[in-house]
Amino acid sequence: MVAQLPLALQLREGNDLSNFVAGDNGALFQGVRETVMGADRQAFIWGAEGLGKSHLLEGAVRLAQQEGLEACLLPAEELLPLSPGVLESMEQFDLLAVDDCQHFAGDRHWEEALFHLYNRLMARGGRLLVSASAAPAALGLMLPDLATRLAAGPVYRLQPLGEEDLEALLIARARTRGLRLEPEVAHFIVLRSERSPAGLVALLNRLDRLALAQQRSVTIPFVKDALGW
Amino acid sequence: MSEELWQRCLTRLEDELPSQQYNMWIRPLQVAASADGAELTLFAPNRFVVDWVRDKYLERIGEVLGEMQAGSLPHLRLEVGSSRAAAVPAASAPQPVSTPAASPAGPIRTPEPAEVRSAAPQAEVGGARKHRSNLNTGFTFATFVEGKSNRMAAAAAQQVAENPASHGYNPLLLYGGVGLGKTHLMHAVGNELIRRNPNAKVVYLHSERFVADMISALRNKTINEFKRFYRSVDALLIDDIQFFAGKEQSQEEFFHTFNALLENGQQIILTCDKFPKEVDGLEERLKSRFGWGLSQPMEPPELETRVAILKKKAEEAKVDLPNDAAFFIAQRIRSNVRELEGALRRVIAHVRFTGAQIDIGLIKEALKDLIALQARQISIDNIQRVVAEYYKIKINDLLSPRRTRSVARPRQVAMALSKELTSHSLPEIGENFGGRDHTTVLHACRKVLELRESNPEIEEDYQNLLRTLTS
Repeated sequence: MVAQLPLALQLREGNDLSNFVAGDNGALFQGVRETVMGADRQAFIWGAEGLGKSHLLEGAVRLAQQEGLEACLLPAEELLPLSPGVLESMEQFDLLAVDDCQHFAGDRHWEEALFHLYNRLMARGGRLLVSASAAPAALGLMLPDLATRLAAGPVYRLQPLGEEDLEALLIARARTRGLRLEPEVAHFIVLRSERSPAGLVALLNRLDRLALAQQRSVTIPFVKDALGW
Repeated sequence: MSEELWQRCLTRLEDELPSQQYNMWIRPLQVAASADGAELTLFAPNRFVVDWVRDKYLERIGEVLGEMQAGSLPHLRLEVGSSRAAAVPAASAPQPVSTPAASPAGPIRTPEPAEVRSAAPQAEVGGARKHRSNLNTGFTFATFVEGKSNRMAAAAAQQVAENPASHGYNPLLLYGGVGLGKTHLMHAVGNELIRRNPNAKVVYLHSERFVADMISALRNKTINEFKRFYRSVDALLIDDIQFFAGKEQSQEEFFHTFNALLENGQQIILTCDKFPKEVDGLEERLKSRFGWGLSQPMEPPELETRVAILKKKAEEAKVDLPNDAAFFIAQRIRSNVRELEGALRRVIAHVRFTGAQIDIGLIKEALKDLIALQARQISIDNIQRVVAEYYKIKINDLLSPRRTRSVARPRQVAMALSKELTSHSLPEIGENFGGRDHTTVLHACRKVLELRESNPEIEEDYQNLLRTLTS
């Protein structure tokens, strides 16, 4: 029998600060909020891939917009094929969030453009969030002026989540999809899968689609079956 | 009506597009509707964003608007600017000709001005255009922490503030590594000039702004106005002149501005990240002119100054920072003031989150990644490599039994640095230097300390090496 194909329509789940599971990153999470609210002028967040840096930055941009601020996300990887001129006049925003800044490292033109943007933004009283794969001093930036500026505010390392937090995240994300996930099933999945929020959410998407197609609920036998574990 | 339509359109696009793209290209567009609702203008910060949005998204935006509303649709325009544009240049740019493409739709609302900017000094220049000093009022002599490393520069700056354009002090050039307070001192002079003479036309700007303004003046054929403006100020403060390197036309224009100001007895203050003669791509005639006045180096602050800086910053942030805690941070962050402040900000964030008092335990927790990162970067191997490079000898020379002065001195310096910067024991350090005894290491450390006090050249070498290793 051919499996029923689920509709490709899915409610998009926004990357919000409200659905970010902070775990041991409480100080960081509060620091990001405080940068948006203006208590800090800047913050730098670094950590491995898949831990939720982009989620945090997108959430911060949304929060800023909800607060009536003009905010813009600047994903370095997406910008890289363009000219550094794309950063011109970006200081007109109240908050800028530069995601995956490591992609600019080693490219003198982008580094200079970011350096000048930093100066203009700070001169205007704007706020800046930056995420990267490593701390400012370890990013391999060519411009020391830029590295020290990025480190002029609090620098936070995003810590991986522990098992319990990953399970809580999985259950919460499942709930927003209207999917019921028992704690023991979440536990079963977390013990066997890639231990990053991004990896788990990707896995949940797969399970969600398969469960819908097969009209089954997500139980341990289903997970074993579906993922071949 | 049209703005509400745009909000609905945004909700739809948010569902359709990857959130990254939405938050980069679509949501930040600012919207302004004409009074009759017949036209909807979307503003983007620059032409690159305009082109990208036009290529990738404009068609879809039009479709969605069509689906949202039956009947006649507002005419959609995409422009460079801001719905807040009419108020933006006054708040952001001190110069007369840097206004980006103007908004035809007029202001929707005005931005809050940057809190720290000085609002008072405005002047009519070259007709109707106005400028701001663009000085950061928080950077004063009172908030500048003096120490051995910057005392001469601070004294020179004070002198210029009291007697602008006096012989021998024009231009005043402050140079040195990143984050050492050059910009702070420069603003302090500017603020003091205005305090003493509220009508003084003082203009601070980054060299990049000068270049951008000049290009824009050339494009808009307002170069004469540009020239008049920059030659009309009482004091011109230009930061980071190393960014003029390789920009020949800007250098040419700056050269003439520079000469005009000097001839008319107006003060020029410049900063540079190194001694200007060492900047590649800077014209010789400029380099030579920069040296006409007074050039003052700024060195990395020594331990006591770093502690004083931390205490001052903590006081400004209304945080109680005990002495031992300040020493603990200052011993670990040596390279520059900016990172020192960043570390303190991180500690304060931790305090805000936990509600605990600052002590060394809390600092270790808050800065553990920073400390671990430094520990990884500073190994004996690394010290040997940097020292050998600095003295232009081979690493093997450091490890060899040779005792000629040209090798023995760098070896002693490397040992002293290893003791200061790593947690290795003296026998371990000796072992890493060709199997030497720990008493040799001890002797080297004492010798270097003695030499640093008696010989400024060795002290400078030592500080340079420390800076390289800890930045």
